[in-house]
Amino acid sequence: MGRSRSAGTSLEQPADLELLRRMRLGDEAALEMLYARYGGLVFTLALRIVGDPELAREVLQDTFLRAWDGRDTYDAGRGRVPWWLMGIARNGAIDLLRSRPHQARLREQERPLSQVRQNESADRGVADALALRRAVGQALAGLSDNQREAIELAYYRGLTQAEIAQHLGQPLGTIKSRTRDAMEHLRTLLEPLIGAGGSESRRD
Amino acid sequence: MIDEHPVEALAAYALGSLASPERAAVDAHVATCTACAARLRAYQGVAATLPLGLTPVPPPSEAWEAISANVQQARAHRKGSATPSKLAGWLRLVRWPAVAVAMSALLTWNVALQRELVRRAPGPAPGPEVEALSRRPGRVVILAGTGKPEASARLFVAVDGGGHLAVSGLSPLPRERTYQLWFVPAGSPPVTGATFGVDSSGRAWVKVAVPSSLDNVQAIVVTEEPAPRGSALTGTHLMDALPWR
Repeated sequence: MGRSRSAGTSLEQPADLELLRRMRLGDEAALEMLYARYGGLVFTLALRIVGDPELAREVLQDTFLRAWDGRDTYDAGRGRVPWWLMGIARNGAIDLLRSRPHQARLREQERPLSQVRQNESADRGVADALALRRAVGQALAGLSDNQREAIELAYYRGLTQAEIAQHLGQPLGTIKSRTRDAMEHLRTLLEPLIGAGGSESRRD
Repeated sequence: MIDEHPVEALAAYALGSLASPERAAVDAHVATCTACAARLRAYQGVAATLPLGLTPVPPPSEAWEAISANVQQARAHRKGSATPSKLAGWLRLVRWPAVAVAMSALLTWNVALQRELVRRAPGPAPGPEVEALSRRPGRVVILAGTGKPEASARLFVAVDGGGHLAVSGLSPLPRERTYQLWFVPAGSPPVTGATFGVDSSGRAWVKVAVPSSLDNVQAIVVTEEPAPRGSALTGTHLMDALPWR
C-alpha cells in the first residue's frame, strides 16, 4: 500500500515488515531477501567506519546474524527496519573500532575508500534508492565543512559531543549547535523523502 | 516551541554521540514528550540515511554464505540436546574485548574458516588436523594491515595451543625474502611463530608455533624479513594484532 521510498529501501515487495514477520516464523529466505535489500548498505557503512574490508565483512555478517537472533525484539514503533539494521551495524562497527590500536584506527580513518573494490552496479540492495542517495549526497553537500565534520566524527567515528569538542579544540556548546544545525538542515531536506515519524506500523 | 526541548541532545542522540548520562536523560524526556519523541525519530531517520551519502561498496560474495551457514548451524545446535553445555563451554573459553561483538565474530569466523578449508584451491594442504582444529574451541586473533592497509589475517589458536594463520592481501615476495609472524613477549626478544609466502592472490594458510601462553605476549606482528627466516625482528610492521585479551 502506497509505500514511498524510505531509507535504503527499494520498491520491491514484500515489504520489510512482512520479511520480519516471516523471519519470526523461521523463514531463512526472508532473511536472505532482507540481506539482498540492505546488505550493500550495511557493508558500505561498516567499511566506512572500520576501514578494513575483512572487518567490515565481519560487521556485515554479525549484523544480519543479530537481526536473525533479535527478530522477535524488533519494535516497528521505534523506527523502520533499515534504521534498526543500520543501528546494529553502526554499533557493532563502532565497538570494533574502539577496540583497535590507536594508530591502526587513525590509519584506517585516513584511508580513502577508493583503495577498496567498488562496483556500484553490483550493489543491488540499494539499486532502487538512487534518488534518495542523490538527495542525501546533495543534502550533505549543503552542509558547511564544520557541520559535516561534526556529523562525521559523531556518526562514523563514534565520538561523543565532548570528545568532538576536545578533538577539534572547540567549545562544547559550539559542537552541540553545529550538530543540531546540521541535523536540522538534513531533516528539512530529507524528511519529505524518508517520511516523518518513521514508524513502520503506520506504513505497512 | 522546539527551543524549549533538548533539540541539541536529540540530534546528538540520533547520531550515537551522547554519553550515557545524557542518553538516559533524553530517554526519560522523550518518554513523556511526544514532540521530542517525533523529532528524535526524524533525526534517527536522517542518521540512518547518512550511509547513502557514501560511495556504495558491494559486500563480498561469500558473506551471505557465512551468514546462512551460521543460521543453519545454530538451528542444528538447537536440535541437539548436548548443545547448551557445549556452547556454554565455548563461551567460557573465550576472552575478548567488546564481547558482544566479538562472540559473533568468532562464531562467524569459525564458520568462515571451515568454509575456507572446504573451498581452498590445491596447494599446501591444511590437512585433516586443521579442519579438526577449526571445529574445536579456541581463540581468534585479528591482525589488521597497519603497514599494509589491504592486508588482513586471522590467527586461530586452539585451546591446546595448535595454531594456524590465514592471510590475505599481502604481495608475493621475491625468493630471498619472507613474511614472518612474531610473538613479542614482555621483556624478552620476539619469538617466531611462522615464516611464509603468499600465493599469486596474496593469500596464505600457515601452521603456527604458538607460545604456551599468550598472556605474556604484548604484541603479535607480521614483518618482511630475509629468507629463509629472520633472526631478529627488523622489518616494518605490516600487520599488528588487535587486542585479544
